[in-house]
Amino acid sequence: MMFTWAWVYPLFPLIAFVLLIALRDVMKKKLAVIVSLIGIGVSFGFAVYLTWMGIFQQSVIQTTKYQWFSIAGKPLYLDFMLEPLNIVMIFLVSLVSLLVQIYSMGYMKGDARITTFYAYLSLFTSSMLGLVISANLLQIYFFWELVGLCSFLLVGFWYFKPEAKEAAKKAFIITRIGDIGLLIAIFMIFQKVGSFDLRVIQHAVDSGVLTGGALTTVAILIFVGAVGKSGQFPLHTWLPDAMEGPTPVSALIHAATMVAAGVYLVGNLFFLFEGSEVALTTVAYIGGFTALFAATIAVTQNDIKRVLAYSTVSQLGFMMLGMGVGSVYASSFHLLMHGFFKALLFLAAGAVIVALHHEQDIRKMGGLWKQSKWLSIPFLIGCLSISGIPPFSGFFSKDEILYAIQLSGKKDLLAIGLLTTFFTAFYMFRLFYLVFAKKSRGDQKVHSISRSMKVSLAVLAVFSIVGGFFSFPTTSANAETITQITKLQGHAPLWLIGSAVGASLLGILLATFLYVWRQGSADGLAKRLSWLYQVSYRKYWIDELYQMMFVSSLKAVAWFLNGFDRFVVGGIVRFVGWGTMSIGRLGSMMQNGQIQTYVLVSLIAFLILFVSLAFGRLIG
Amino acid sequence: MEITGEFIAFFILSVLAICGAVFMIFFTNVVHMGVSMAFTFLSIAGIYFLLNADFLAVIQIMVYTGAISILMLFGIMMTRHKETEEKLNRPIHYWLSIAGAGVLLVSLVLLSRGATFVSDSVDTKGYGIAKIGELFFGTYMIPFELASILLLVALIGSIIMAKKEGQE
Amino acid sequence: MLIASYLALAAILFVIGLIGVLTKRNAVIVLFSLELMLNAANINFVTFSKMGLVPNLNGQVFALFNVVVAAAEAAVGLAILFAIYRNRETIDAEKLNLLKG
Repeated sequence: MMFTWAWVYPLFPLIAFVLLIALRDVMKKKLAVIVSLIGIGVSFGFAVYLTWMGIFQQSVIQTTKYQWFSIAGKPLYLDFMLEPLNIVMIFLVSLVSLLVQIYSMGYMKGDARITTFYAYLSLFTSSMLGLVISANLLQIYFFWELVGLCSFLLVGFWYFKPEAKEAAKKAFIITRIGDIGLLIAIFMIFQKVGSFDLRVIQHAVDSGVLTGGALTTVAILIFVGAVGKSGQFPLHTWLPDAMEGPTPVSALIHAATMVAAGVYLVGNLFFLFEGSEVALTTVAYIGGFTALFAATIAVTQNDIKRVLAYSTVSQLGFMMLGMGVGSVYASSFHLLMHGFFKALLFLAAGAVIVALHHEQDIRKMGGLWKQSKWLSIPFLIGCLSISGIPPFSGFFSKDEILYAIQLSGKKDLLAIGLLTTFFTAFYMFRLFYLVFAKKSRGDQKVHSISRSMKVSLAVLAVFSIVGGFFSFPTTSANAETITQITKLQGHAPLWLIGSAVGASLLGILLATFLYVWRQGSADGLAKRLSWLYQVSYRKYWIDELYQMMFVSSLKAVAWFLNGFDRFVVGGIVRFVGWGTMSIGRLGSMMQNGQIQTYVLVSLIAFLILFVSLAFGRLIG
Repeated sequence: MEITGEFIAFFILSVLAICGAVFMIFFTNVVHMGVSMAFTFLSIAGIYFLLNADFLAVIQIMVYTGAISILMLFGIMMTRHKETEEKLNRPIHYWLSIAGAGVLLVSLVLLSRGATFVSDSVDTKGYGIAKIGELFFGTYMIPFELASILLLVALIGSIIMAKKEGQE
Repeated sequence: MLIASYLALAAILFVIGLIGVLTKRNAVIVLFSLELMLNAANINFVTFSKMGLVPNLNGQVFALFNVVVAAAEAAVGLAILFAIYRNRETIDAEKLNLLKG
């Protein structure tokens, strides 16, 4: 059955990438776009079929194995698996990638390097698809790094902008810190278990080969990798900066590929975390902290894409929180839903940016509601969805996570979750009102948006509305196939649902009060709470702190080493050169053509010989 | 050490010889240098007398004090471009030369003082011209002839080289 | 009379001659100093002829040969100096540096 050969999913985008990159100078731009779309389209077609089979046939859980190479007698396999989580991810990645590519036809129109752009997008999709079907840690790491590389290439796609260049470097370096954690974890696992195969490792965990402190260490190191990739608290700074890339790329990174990889990794290797209470608690608290922390930053940011970026960091923290309290199902579900509505929000934001002639500052926007329904309605759907208003998709997934937290009995985390929900609703509607409500600040003509962008927005809007029903507790038993991963027993109690929706509504109400009914009162509030406002606006000075702690101290070390190299090492080198030159100069000074000099040299040579031979007799 | 006639003579002669040589070094007028050198050669002839080398002493007076000194004076006069000799422009070279010469002198003197030479006085009755003549025309026959050839070659060579070029 | 006295005299004359050769600028004086060095060697020959380990006349014979060679050398040397003087208008030892590579 071809659709269940897992390796076909990354194959087609990869072929498209190779074709595009090889023929980028000869291929017509239109043709390049079509080739890329065909590549991802075929993958998406297979993914739809696979998901269909997964829901209604329950017949696709399977793995395929090919020998790759062997180290010291241990064979390494190219190993793929199609289990429910993988299928969900394939569907999400291929769908979002396809829509982003369609959208990019409009957004990137006229860019000279559009062929390269599509090539990178294809490679990005291909690596992410490869990552989500891998059943082998080494393979996962391989694709993991490819994803990192692609995000580097795409964030820095407009490399002629210095900010984009800096952001690309920052993304690459900061995620690398996490990658090292993952790499060490992989080595440790191989040392203890002797295999990269996920099933073998799971077996080892179950049978107690890998346990105790080693298991905790491994789990936390893997989580460090996920922290880097998914922009969790200490390593989150690259994600907002990555907004310098083209907006479709932001959508792809935030919704489906790069940051999803971290959450997916934790979900996929959850059996490692299950065995260690410490690791789980770490994941939960880091996630919870990140969720609240990023949400408070998002409240004061003025760049439309940055608000969304911090919102992503916050939502990812929410997912990690869900993982940490033991619910892979809830987090994966939220990952899926978040993929839909965050892609929608980003693409809509991109459309807003295009419509306003590349203006990103929300203080200069306003009044778009009347001018373009094609922009405002999808954006509103996204906002409602992320705020968790029923019946939009975010409502269901958020509730699952909150329910999972409640079941774990950690009251403080539940409070964080509800608070985050409140902040999320507040900053999303602050964004919405500033962009769409009020009067237009400038009377500039609104750029029309192209049909390809409208199509993408519409599809994602539909998914954002109805996505949640796929796992609505009352759906048919078949849905369990996809969602059977640690499915929670029972439903969330009504008071929890009520308080979650209540928190959201409160947030929306506050935003409405501050930005619609009492316009301008927000500025006054900011002035009165200027200390808090500054903390949030400056993002808790994390960037400055890193700059001071790491960059400056490393620079000092580098400065010292540079001096050492220049003066000590270089000094020795120069001294050797100078010595040789001096000997040469001395030699050429002797060869001055005057016989008396020659005689003198002979005399000195003779004296040396004479004195050394007769020394004993001279002093005796 | 007893004061003998030989010692006094040696003392005076050697002082004369050394003074002549030292003056040669320190004079600035080139002709004066030549003259003081002639005195040195004359003193050396005296030393030869002290060493029972009468024939050699006479030869020394004739060849060095006479011929070569005159030859050099002629050379000086024929090539003269400056009245006085100037010091070298290269101080490093100058002082290195002095130092090297000094080291050489010290080591030579040290060596000759430390060396042991058996005979202090010897029978010198046979040291006469007749004996030298015998040696020249007996043992050193071939070197003697070669020396005459050398002189002939030097004579012809000097004439050819000193002749103006183009005067065939 | 100590043999060392004669040898010391010879050494002093030799060294003075050497200084002359090394430091004088007039090439004729340099030749002259060379003669002085040869004479110092002759003194040694004659000294050993009288007071050496095996005293005999061979020392004096050698000194005579030495005089012959010195005379020839002086003659040829002066001839060379004349030739140089004719060509370069100088016999200043500092300016005779055609050997310089």
